[in-house]
Amino acid sequence: MPTAGEALLAARHLTKHYGNVVALNDVSFNISDGVTGLLGENGAGKSTAIKIFLGLLRPTSGAATVLGEDASRSFSARSRLGYMPEHDCLPSHVSAAEFLTHMAEVSGLPPSAARTRAADTLRHTGLFEERYRSIGGYSTGMKQRVKLSQALVHDPVFVFLDEPTAGLDPLGREEMLALIRKTHREFGISVVLSSHLMADVERTCDRIIVMQGGRVVHSGEVGHFTKETATVFIEVDANRDELVAALQRRGVMVTPDGSGLTIEGPDESVYDHVRDALVDAQSPLRRMAPRRRALTELFERGAV
Amino acid sequence: MTARMAPATDARTAPNGSGTVFDIGYQKYTGVREGRGRARRAVFKDGVRGALGLGRGPRNMVLPWFFIGFMSAIAILMALITGAAKRMASPAEVAQMNLPTHSDFYGFASIILFMFAALVAPELLCRDRREGVISLYFVRPLTALDYVASRWLAFLVVTLATAWLPQIILLLGLSMGDPAPVAYLQKHWLDIPRFLAAGLAMAAYITTIAMLTASFTTRRAYASVFLVGLFAITTPFTAGLAQEIKGPAGQWISMFSLTNIPVHVNDIIFNDVSEITEDAPARKLPKVVLVAWYFAWTVIPGAALWWRYRRLTP
Repeated sequence: MPTAGEALLAARHLTKHYGNVVALNDVSFNISDGVTGLLGENGAGKSTAIKIFLGLLRPTSGAATVLGEDASRSFSARSRLGYMPEHDCLPSHVSAAEFLTHMAEVSGLPPSAARTRAADTLRHTGLFEERYRSIGGYSTGMKQRVKLSQALVHDPVFVFLDEPTAGLDPLGREEMLALIRKTHREFGISVVLSSHLMADVERTCDRIIVMQGGRVVHSGEVGHFTKETATVFIEVDANRDELVAALQRRGVMVTPDGSGLTIEGPDESVYDHVRDALVDAQSPLRRMAPRRRALTELFERGAV
Repeated sequence: MTARMAPATDARTAPNGSGTVFDIGYQKYTGVREGRGRARRAVFKDGVRGALGLGRGPRNMVLPWFFIGFMSAIAILMALITGAAKRMASPAEVAQMNLPTHSDFYGFASIILFMFAALVAPELLCRDRREGVISLYFVRPLTALDYVASRWLAFLVVTLATAWLPQIILLLGLSMGDPAPVAYLQKHWLDIPRFLAAGLAMAAYITTIAMLTASFTTRRAYASVFLVGLFAITTPFTAGLAQEIKGPAGQWISMFSLTNIPVHVNDIIFNDVSEITEDAPARKLPKVVLVAWYFAWTVIPGAALWWRYRRLTP
């Protein structure tokens, strides 16, 4: 086990080829305690990286270590990892309690401890009342919870969640994201969240690793990517065009941005011009604030 | 690493003050982790439960328990017939009768054991792949070979129990039905290791063929239909062809009767001839050839099964 401050997962010059296709190209990164988002489009290399860390694939070159051990060889490290796949992975004919007990045993827990852990985990994921029903009769949201539960039942140090909100309605998605946050904050289990939904990552993760074409293109704290910019965003309830004209008459360069306007790099005098232009245009001001960057801009502009 | 969370404590007191429920929050697991050995045992145990339909609902229990009951009923019937004959006829007349014995049982029961394997064994491999559960096994301290070996062993144990239980019933029935039970056991004690060995040979062969077939499809029905067809077609087809061709070629064609392969071994173990192999030309081949043929049909499919799963984990 790594000591405090050490990386729980580490990729060192990781490369993976499938024939002529390069899925990972000399990738290096560390993942430490917390909730880390693995962002990228389909084919970016996220799933390949996860499979290498889980010991399901061997890298063509480079090394992947999990909890300080070689990912492809260590059985002890695997007993401390959890994995929630994106695809269907649940048996339809057994109850959630029986399935989780079995999965806990396969992770190395003795039978009595496995039964206790299964019941406790289902209580924490909100399925305790339904635990003796066959999984085949569960809703999509409940099945996602069972998938998360089986990843947590053996109390792993680290859990990989692959598209955990896939197929969920808005309420189910909110509940799943809340469960993921709870997994780290209350259960003390570190999370790698692989997703192409930036809103999920932005709201859940402490850090992100952005992958594109088999390479890491950005990595760092989520706050760093979503910090305030030098752009002011103005939103008005009416007369937006008149306001644009009034600002332009005062020499202020504005850019329409959705329902509002943005002013790049304003100095102190601009705020006076905005006030006067609002009066001239008789535009009721709804919001004026420094604009925050969204993670989507990482892909739209390719710059951080 | 973040310090592990202290449990949140939330007490809810009943209105009349009669009891208190404490939510002690999430508890870390601090007990022993038994690793790969426990994982193998868990897959084995789940395989046995799956094969017998335990914990799967009544419908899943019908098939395996029907076959176990049917095999036991055959043994009881054989014991009753032999017991009645020994009590109603004179010893001289009994000696003239061709009464059923332990050596005959697998000859009668082999086709039922094949049907049992064809219908039940695919459950242990096909469902995990079809439902995607297999991907959850291989991210745990378990290799693909651990998985398939544990499943194979689970079905072997179930098949062994299905093969041995009727023989034990038959032994009890034959000894109880004999006018001198103790003398019967003293005279026939060698039947016990023989039927155990013959049962093991039959179970290992059937399990391996059935599991290999199941490894090629995610649909249990496809595997079952293929296996039933394989066993049901090869026996009459090879028998008919061998009768037509005759000679050494006929003997070798007769060797491809898949239901007969372990029964020849049964005959060698008991030094007797079963009803099912009595007319098979392959019976006249040297014993070493019959045993080698049996091992070829058990070891090669076993290696193929191993190869099928070997590529699933690095």
